[in-house]
Amino acid sequence: MDVAAIDAIVSKFPEIKGNLIGILHEVQNHFHYLPEEELRYLSKKTDIPITQIYSIVNFYNRFSLKPKGKNEICVCLGTACHVKGAEKVMNALEENLHIQKGQSTEDMNFSLEEVRCIGACSLAPAVVINEETYGLVTPNKIPLLLSKHKDG
Amino acid sequence: MASMVNLTINDKEVQAPEGMTILEAAKREGIFIPTLCHHEALEPEGTCRLCIVEISGAIRHSIRISCIQQVKEGLIVETDTERIKKNRRLILELLLGRSPYSKELLDLASKCGVMTSRFLTGESDDCVRCGRCVRVCRDKIGVQALCWVNRGYERKITTDFERLSEYCIGCGACAQVCPTGAIKIEDRGNERKIYTWGQVLARFKLEKCKECGRPYAPKKYLDRINERAYKTKGLELVNYVCPECVKKAERPTPVKMPFGGGDMPFAI
Repeated sequence: MDVAAIDAIVSKFPEIKGNLIGILHEVQNHFHYLPEEELRYLSKKTDIPITQIYSIVNFYNRFSLKPKGKNEICVCLGTACHVKGAEKVMNALEENLHIQKGQSTEDMNFSLEEVRCIGACSLAPAVVINEETYGLVTPNKIPLLLSKHKDG
Repeated sequence: MASMVNLTINDKEVQAPEGMTILEAAKREGIFIPTLCHHEALEPEGTCRLCIVEISGAIRHSIRISCIQQVKEGLIVETDTERIKKNRRLILELLLGRSPYSKELLDLASKCGVMTSRFLTGESDDCVRCGRCVRVCRDKIGVQALCWVNRGYERKITTDFERLSEYCIGCGACAQVCPTGAIKIEDRGNERKIYTWGQVLARFKLEKCKECGRPYAPKKYLDRINERAYKTKGLELVNYVCPECVKKAERPTPVKMPFGGGDMPFAI
């Protein structure tokens, strides 16, 4: 268990109660998911019941209790992207990474998620990799996109 | 004393103290409003939506839930109009969609004239997602062993990480307040089990009563009583005796009088 990481994250916040979601975001960014042991430690440290933390983690899509890859790929399947062929982009990604959506690659380099509208409809179909948005993605651009992030 | 406000419920002039909810005011007047999620001991949450009433007068004409809406001067409340009945039937049908075998829900449905549901899902889970158990565990017991997880259709009540709870003390308050009996508590031999549809929430070994030797309560629960009721008064719970033995001890036992004077009704 990485106690030091949790301690460091919590100490960044002057107030705990109102910042739980912020803390969880940082924990997720650090581990790429929310490990159970660390969450239990966080609960003891902050005096917030673990059930409350578990509720919040389950509520928001952004939080994951399953380990995620280093590079998080989010394919927008909102209306505009869907019309512009996001399905084909998703299929191409699934084929290239040999995983289904919602899963992570074996080497934990990539994980693939679908999202609903990221507000970049003019760039449809859009893909977000690690908070970087790529617009006008076509299935044949996928290998290039992936190679960019392979070691990132 | 809180100041009183005047309102009308079903054409009846009613006086109620400020801050009271319409549901409470109606109950005091003997007017029945169906509800599942409301419990006198708990803060209202307004999850089951069954207690809807039609409101006009002091507030814009609308349908509100009476367990949260407070009384107001000049309010006109109707609890049984056609519009309310129609809406309530829909809500009942939706609730029945997931819990078609819940006895309490079926009773309520037949009372409101609902015979079947158009929304049957094939599931049969007696939980109506009212959250009474979560509220009692959090607000009254102060343990917070139960929580909501997921969203929308998948929302349900469970323990942390959906495993046997480490935090549950086995008091059974959740099973006690559950309106449909979806959470059950079962004592068998010297084991207590608290469970719902498809998940055992907690298991306990029961401590034996020092008087009669019958297993009666989990240790965690007794520790909690010790902590909250006795320690605050500087006392300690020493005689672990089950409620029945306590009752027996409090009941006076007849004592034989030495001079043949018959039984005395109490011990001297």
